[in-house]
Amino acid sequence: MATHEAALRTHDAAHARAAEGSGVLAWLTTVDHKRIGILYGSTAFAFLLIGGLEALLIRTQLLRPHMGVVSAQTYNALFTMHGTTMIFLAVMPLNAAFFNYIVPLMIGARDVAFPRLNALSYWIFLAGALFLNASFLVGTPPDAGWFGYANLTTRPFSPGPNVDFWLLSLQVLGASSVIAAVNFIVTILNMRAPGMTLMRMPLFVWMTLVTQFLIVLAFPSVTVGLIFLMFDRFLGTHFYDVAAGGDLHLWQHLFWIFGHPEVYILILPAFGIVSEVLPTFSRKPLFGAPVVIYSGVLIGFFGFGVWSHHMFAVGMGPVADAAFSIATMLIAVPTGVKIFNWLATMWGGRIRPTVAFHYAAGLVALFTIGGLSGVMHASPPVDLQQHDSYFVVAHMHYVLIGGSLIGIFAGLYYWWPKMTGRMLDERLGRLQFWLVVLGFNVAFFPQHFLGALGMPRRIYTYGVGSGWELWNLVSSLGAYVLGIGVLLFVLIAARSLRSGPRAPADPWDARTLEWRTSSPPPVHDFDAIPPVYGRDSFWREKYGDARGRKPAPRPETPDPHGIHLPSPSFWPVVIALGIGTAAVGALLHTALVVIGAGITVVGAFAFALQHHRDPAHVVQIGNLGVDHRKLAMWVFLGSECFFFGTLIATYIAYKGRSVVGPLPHEILNIPLTTLSTFDLLMSSLLMVLALAAVQRDDRAQSRLWLAGTALFGLIFLGFQAYEFTHFVHEGLTLQSNLFGSTFFVLTGFHGGHVTLGVLWLLALLVLDLRGRLAVSDSIKVEVAALYWHFVDIVWIVIFTLVYLLP
Amino acid sequence: MTEPLQATQHEHASIGTYVRVAVILCIVTALEFTVIYIRRLTPILLPLLLVLSAGKFALVVMFYMHLRYDAKPLTFFFVSALLLASGIALALMTLTGDFLVFKR
Repeated sequence: MATHEAALRTHDAAHARAAEGSGVLAWLTTVDHKRIGILYGSTAFAFLLIGGLEALLIRTQLLRPHMGVVSAQTYNALFTMHGTTMIFLAVMPLNAAFFNYIVPLMIGARDVAFPRLNALSYWIFLAGALFLNASFLVGTPPDAGWFGYANLTTRPFSPGPNVDFWLLSLQVLGASSVIAAVNFIVTILNMRAPGMTLMRMPLFVWMTLVTQFLIVLAFPSVTVGLIFLMFDRFLGTHFYDVAAGGDLHLWQHLFWIFGHPEVYILILPAFGIVSEVLPTFSRKPLFGAPVVIYSGVLIGFFGFGVWSHHMFAVGMGPVADAAFSIATMLIAVPTGVKIFNWLATMWGGRIRPTVAFHYAAGLVALFTIGGLSGVMHASPPVDLQQHDSYFVVAHMHYVLIGGSLIGIFAGLYYWWPKMTGRMLDERLGRLQFWLVVLGFNVAFFPQHFLGALGMPRRIYTYGVGSGWELWNLVSSLGAYVLGIGVLLFVLIAARSLRSGPRAPADPWDARTLEWRTSSPPPVHDFDAIPPVYGRDSFWREKYGDARGRKPAPRPETPDPHGIHLPSPSFWPVVIALGIGTAAVGALLHTALVVIGAGITVVGAFAFALQHHRDPAHVVQIGNLGVDHRKLAMWVFLGSECFFFGTLIATYIAYKGRSVVGPLPHEILNIPLTTLSTFDLLMSSLLMVLALAAVQRDDRAQSRLWLAGTALFGLIFLGFQAYEFTHFVHEGLTLQSNLFGSTFFVLTGFHGGHVTLGVLWLLALLVLDLRGRLAVSDSIKVEVAALYWHFVDIVWIVIFTLVYLLP
Repeated sequence: MTEPLQATQHEHASIGTYVRVAVILCIVTALEFTVIYIRRLTPILLPLLLVLSAGKFALVVMFYMHLRYDAKPLTFFFVSALLLASGIALALMTLTGDFLVFKR
């Protein structure tokens, strides 16, 4: 491989991205997946320290009975911000750091499918994270728990801006996650090196893929829940207003439909990391790799059917309890399969006990403890005893620290040399490992006892003689040791960056493609896309298969179009700035919302035009034989199914629960809506005619049909504006009753989608009129058409379920 | 700069097919509007409307969104997401509000 590295070192400077440098501007405008990975990692680690500090304050308050370190109000804010920070600002983005840096290298790609969109994800994430933490600066941090149960979060019970910071930032962070997830799904499915079939993909890539699908499909439900909460708080709707007929369980369902898959969003990447680290340091292939893959997929699938086990205590009835209990027990099966496969991988291996291996093996042990206590919660009678006790706190930390964080440390020690070109100190690393593992167990194992002794969660103090004194003391001391362990990593990392030994390309004698390039990799990752000889391709290339037979070397075919990398862009920062401004405006002044929205829209148009002029990749057709953009749109539409499905389900669930009129049958104008439905359906016909015209390069027809589609869209919006105005005159507003709240939000969001579609069509029309929509750009019209038709089919469902059904 | 021509397009339907689908969509919409005023259909109105709506939905997805002609993985992604979303929406309606069918 030495020659390969040498070739990389002498790569043509012309390959480098334009303006790739090391200044602040270069980092602000970077679209390089490796730099974005580093940005995610460093930001997330900073938030890990902040979240850890919040945890230590919590544990100091609970060190002894009647401690007065913080007030009850501050304590509420601390546990709310600790949970929110650790989940959304630390563990998720730490995983994203690995997705960004490692996944393209593992699949033999030069970058992700949408590099500028990748930068946008990071900057939106940063905007959301800073906005959330700005709540500390103004003295109103969120204080209603990371789960934000209604009606604790509604205006009468949380009148300050605390919850507003929380709900707005979570929506911003959610947008960042979904954008990134669509990007990685397309990257993994469509940008694998030739020969890398799905079943040859490394386990980390597989678990990343499953995680991204979970993000795309799980986030819409909590987004809808947060939108309802935002409307309740800002506009006086009644989604969580019991007096108006609302049901508080609605929030819990919407939250946990997201919240349980979120557990797997946090843990599956760690499973992927362990599945890479253990085979490398056991010098054996992963035992039963296909089964581990199927198990990961099954965990992801079952993850959508278990959410209500978080709600056994609300009293859903025996049928629902039984169904969710069985599903929860079932999900333990594929999880257990993974544990046994990892053990079998180590069994009989020539183990090299590096720090990365220590952490990977540590996950197997510690996550199993958390998994077993999870199975206990699957039983409703047992769960009722443990609900809201410290037993649950212990369980979740064994899963999220013993699983996720320990896995992330395994990944950090494993891939640090690749990312930085420097080795970490293994001796200090072992000390750091034992501090973390011992501190963690001393901190959290006693919490099982505290829960069994009846200590509830979220209490800021307790009395003498409660029987909780000893274990709280032990737990707090353990937390301090854990904190020292995490801080020690900062020291080790700093020493490595300053004076650590240089890392070779393949310091661990590893198995996957990222080790085939230099450490750190060149800007274009690989001079030529590497050949793939099977699972663990790099290992086969070095040592052959199980019998030592090496594959016949295949030449690295140079890219037929040369190495093309997209130029940097500052529009992602501008868009994120616009979104952040709008969020601040929501708390300060409507004018700021308008300014923020304006910046976002202008930034988005400039962003799109930049892509039009300078596409990210010369060839956008990938392994699935589909254009990246088209695949991305279909994945996004899958997410939209969940978004509108949740809105429609809420409308139907609340139908007939309004305690005052006007009611649907008194006010809905079915003949008028039938006309607007005809209009929208015909716009879909015009849209396909426009696409066909662009494809056959018929300029006159394409302009006519594009303009016609936009016009029909505007007519539909006109119908909707007339309907809304009429309803308001009849006394139905967002605030009138539950029907008004659900109807206006559902149809309003659909109208918003139509508006966006019209703007998109008009932009394409302008390009066409200026002669900048060639036949080769027909894919852009096709992607817009997919969005337009989706808006149409959503209306087909709304027309039937909202207007026609009695 | 525009991109070089890429072989992205699978065989799509003809203009005639698009127009025929539009005619069917209009007829079905007219049917939906009509059946709600026919008293004798009241007992079967719910399934009837759902079937008509599902038919329109499928026509748009298959012909206008080209799933009938496109790469199979796209159908897999969309149909899987649609079914999962429908299942969760149904469960949400079942577990919340007046749609409750399980005795608490």
